[in-house]
Amino acid sequence: MAAEYALRMGDGKRVFMSKEKIKEEAIAGAGHAVDYGSIPDLSCDEIDKIIEICIMPGKSVSVEIGMEVPVTHDIGTIRLDGDQGNSGVGIPSSRLIGMMMHERAFGADTMELGHIDYSYKAVKPIVFQECQAMEVAQQNMIVPLFYGAMPNMGLYYTPDGPYENPGDLLKAFKLDEAFASMEKSAAHLTRDIVWIMQKLYASGADGINLDTTGAAGDADAYAALNAVKALREEFPDMYIEVGMAGENIIGMHGMLEFEGTVLAGLWPHQQVALAEKAGANVFGPVVNTNTSRSFPWNLARAITFIKECSKVSKIPLHVDVGMGVGGIPMFETPPFDAVTRASKALVEMTGVDGL
Amino acid sequence: MDKQAILKELSDAMVTCKADVIMAATKKAADAGMPGAEIIDGLAAGMTQVGDLFERGKVFLPHVMMAANGMQAAINTLDMGEAGATVKKVIINGTVEGDVHDIGKSIVSTMLQSAGFEVHDLGRDVPIAKFVEAVREYNADMVGLSALMTTTLNGQKDVIELLKANGLRDNVKVMVGGAPATQTWAEKIGADCYAENASEAVERAKALLL
Repeated sequence: MAAEYALRMGDGKRVFMSKEKIKEEAIAGAGHAVDYGSIPDLSCDEIDKIIEICIMPGKSVSVEIGMEVPVTHDIGTIRLDGDQGNSGVGIPSSRLIGMMMHERAFGADTMELGHIDYSYKAVKPIVFQECQAMEVAQQNMIVPLFYGAMPNMGLYYTPDGPYENPGDLLKAFKLDEAFASMEKSAAHLTRDIVWIMQKLYASGADGINLDTTGAAGDADAYAALNAVKALREEFPDMYIEVGMAGENIIGMHGMLEFEGTVLAGLWPHQQVALAEKAGANVFGPVVNTNTSRSFPWNLARAITFIKECSKVSKIPLHVDVGMGVGGIPMFETPPFDAVTRASKALVEMTGVDGL
Repeated sequence: MDKQAILKELSDAMVTCKADVIMAATKKAADAGMPGAEIIDGLAAGMTQVGDLFERGKVFLPHVMMAANGMQAAINTLDMGEAGATVKKVIINGTVEGDVHDIGKSIVSTMLQSAGFEVHDLGRDVPIAKFVEAVREYNADMVGLSALMTTTLNGQKDVIELLKANGLRDNVKVMVGGAPATQTWAEKIGADCYAENASEAVERAKALLL
């Protein structure tokens, strides 16, 4: 009987696979990315490398010496304080302690200050409290410290916001009204992001992290990119990171363009060019994990997409490797074996600059 | 023009997502003597293709709506005889309580509606009792339960249990979806099916209800 190796499904479930099965899965996962993204396939050597990483005997693995990359944490600010329901470990602690622990104990190379609501709209009414927290944090920390939140344009739609929900309008075949609602929300969101960052930059933030850009579709991405452009024009030295919500920008509107490119339907290697044009310093590409597929399938698919993104990008890439993205299982506390294998493979095989 | 060529023309017309093109292809098929039910099959095949293109990021939600709108307008012009009186299957769809994610669920609702189902979208953060009330109120054939977070996934199980407690489980199919859901999860909680994306939700609903 062929040797079997302990791996995971996309939902974190433990499975055992032979080397042949791992290869079959990796080839299929890469092929899926090739088919959907119209991008080049992985070579036989690259498939072999994925297999090699998958079957390494250690529970955790690491990159080869000399291939270390910067690591950052988005909502790490509350990772300690938050309990399992907040993807944390439930240790009562302040946001400052959370950030400093990441800097000094966990080795994070950059950090961000973030609020529990973690959306720009929610931050607006409490921005001065956030400014104060930023000033205190900067007096205590050394690593670059961003202010981070999600554009989260869904908060601008009813029942949470002032504009009618385009999902409801589309279902009612009110297309023009849906487009108008998305466009007004996007303009409002751009304005809010810029306004908030003007305050936080004045309070010492080194930059901004736009986390899960495009979560509400193409209008969400449109708003975020326009905010990046406006911030870059106003603050030439601001450090701007754009992280995506998903691998493909969902076409809720379908016709919105940024710098002459239709946003809907763009894949990571196409998204990065626009982030760059807008003025971002770093781009965080995302490849979604399919919970019904195996770790080798998801990992090979992620490698295929990110490799192409890395090839065309002129700015540094800090690939998203959290729960449910970058080949990592969708599980509240992602399995260590899968996290380290995905991290190693992405760094060593795709040329990304950070995680 | 043979039957296969007409069916392909109907399907291709749907992929353009343009109502006038869909109407023209439908009229041409009807003028050629094709029965209404077969014309609808051709249009439906095209709609499935539109759904697949949506998943691939090649067409967008408004296009899906335009295709569905064009298809409905075209069907309205057909003389369906007895078949025209067919009652639409009813689906209740919503995101379970505690989970405010709306977009993915709305896309599923839109695609189901585009495929010809009568969809009642209850929104997001829907209390479990409200699903049961809606199943009763609309005499639903299926209930769709979305959850995007691992922490809210159990809400899907809670709805199924409440349906059982109210003696409604055998009358209605249950479909689950959302990023943390899987086929294994669906089987574990006793759902009838799991759908990975909006196109698959349509296929699963068709397989279980039509």
